[in-house]
Amino acid sequence: MAVFVDLNITNCKDVKKLQNMIEMAAHLGYSTVAINHVFEFESKKMEIGKPISTKELFSTLPTVQGKSIPIKILTRLTIIASDPSHCNVLRSTSPSTRLYDIVAVFPKTEKLFHAACTSIDVDLICINVTEKAPFFFRRPPINAAIQRGIFFELVYTPAIKDSTLRRYTISNALSLMQVCKGKNIIISSGAERALEMRGPYDIATLGLLFGLTEGVAKAAVSTNCRSAVLHGETRKTAFGVVYTVKKTCLEEEEAEPVCKKAKKS
Amino acid sequence: MRFKSRYLLCELVLEDPRWRQNISQGTVVYNVREAIARTHGDFGAAACAVSLSVKYLNVYTGVLLLRCRKDFYQLLWSSLPFITSLDNRGQRIPCFINTLHVGGTIRTCQKFLIQYNKNQLLQLMKNCTNAAEKEAIRQSLQSCSLKSLEEPEFVLSKNEENE
Repeated sequence: MAVFVDLNITNCKDVKKLQNMIEMAAHLGYSTVAINHVFEFESKKMEIGKPISTKELFSTLPTVQGKSIPIKILTRLTIIASDPSHCNVLRSTSPSTRLYDIVAVFPKTEKLFHAACTSIDVDLICINVTEKAPFFFRRPPINAAIQRGIFFELVYTPAIKDSTLRRYTISNALSLMQVCKGKNIIISSGAERALEMRGPYDIATLGLLFGLTEGVAKAAVSTNCRSAVLHGETRKTAFGVVYTVKKTCLEEEEAEPVCKKAKKS
Repeated sequence: MRFKSRYLLCELVLEDPRWRQNISQGTVVYNVREAIARTHGDFGAAACAVSLSVKYLNVYTGVLLLRCRKDFYQLLWSSLPFITSLDNRGQRIPCFINTLHVGGTIRTCQKFLIQYNKNQLLQLMKNCTNAAEKEAIRQSLQSCSLKSLEEPEFVLSKNEENE
């Protein structure tokens, strides 16, 4: 059985609230959560802040429901891009983005969406769910994104809050599904309060409303999220090909087959 | 002919656990019907209304068992996440419903629930501070098995299932 992952818990200043949310996630059965740091450019020179450290949050991590392992907390950076220059932060090997486990981008225009799918080095592309989609999803960029292993993220909290937002969420999700056929989709919460989170099995059925089939919907909260996390890990490695493990004696054996594979492709 | 049903074992998570005491089965049914009507419209409400009922509600743990016709349980299930509050005699209680298990009979749900509650007790035992608490939990752990839990409520619902 695959483990469940929620890759979007909104970061807030209130530490108590954040703790509550993570405890709730553990209670619902999520094994991994990611705290989302949203970053929007207001002036030209703004530095991306450091992520919140998990050690400060908990002295002992809460245990996952039904398992005896503690919950895993990752950090995630979301950049709201409305101008091409905003993506320069991601292109250069800036030290600030390296601190985060996952990097996501929220493209506001079609051009940026195209760029995010084809060239920018990100793990997730957020789909706008709070208003009518400003552009049509076209096949070439989405196919390119699937080829590169980038995932599209749907957030379900707006759908729970309000009836109009629910309509936008479902219609945008269906129009995306028409093109990508359920491939490379993840569904995450985007919760700001503990009561806005839902259990993983409930989300899998919610996926049926978004036009996913049962198996794909379940993958959207489990295996696809895991691939996204692994995709994020490759950024920290050399060319995303060689992955080093701390155990030194095994390093030689493992590195060789990976290199061979890379030469072939 | 026997009509097949699906039983959804759910957990009511409230903002403040003290409000659990005020909730009745009628309140839950009413709110679930409303939620189905909101998400799936008249068709969904009509399709689920055929045999929708609350079979069991535990006000102490917040566990509830919903029954629905097998063909339409996905309509019911996909509208459960949209419940954000319960209307209880003009009072709005913020809450959400988390599905624990979906089963074909009440018995499988009961088995799952006992296992689940056992795990919950083990979790409690971990967080114990003194020896007296620990002993009390150990006692209740030993006492829970399928036989001893067959309270009148469960026997009643079993008879209904056989009909």
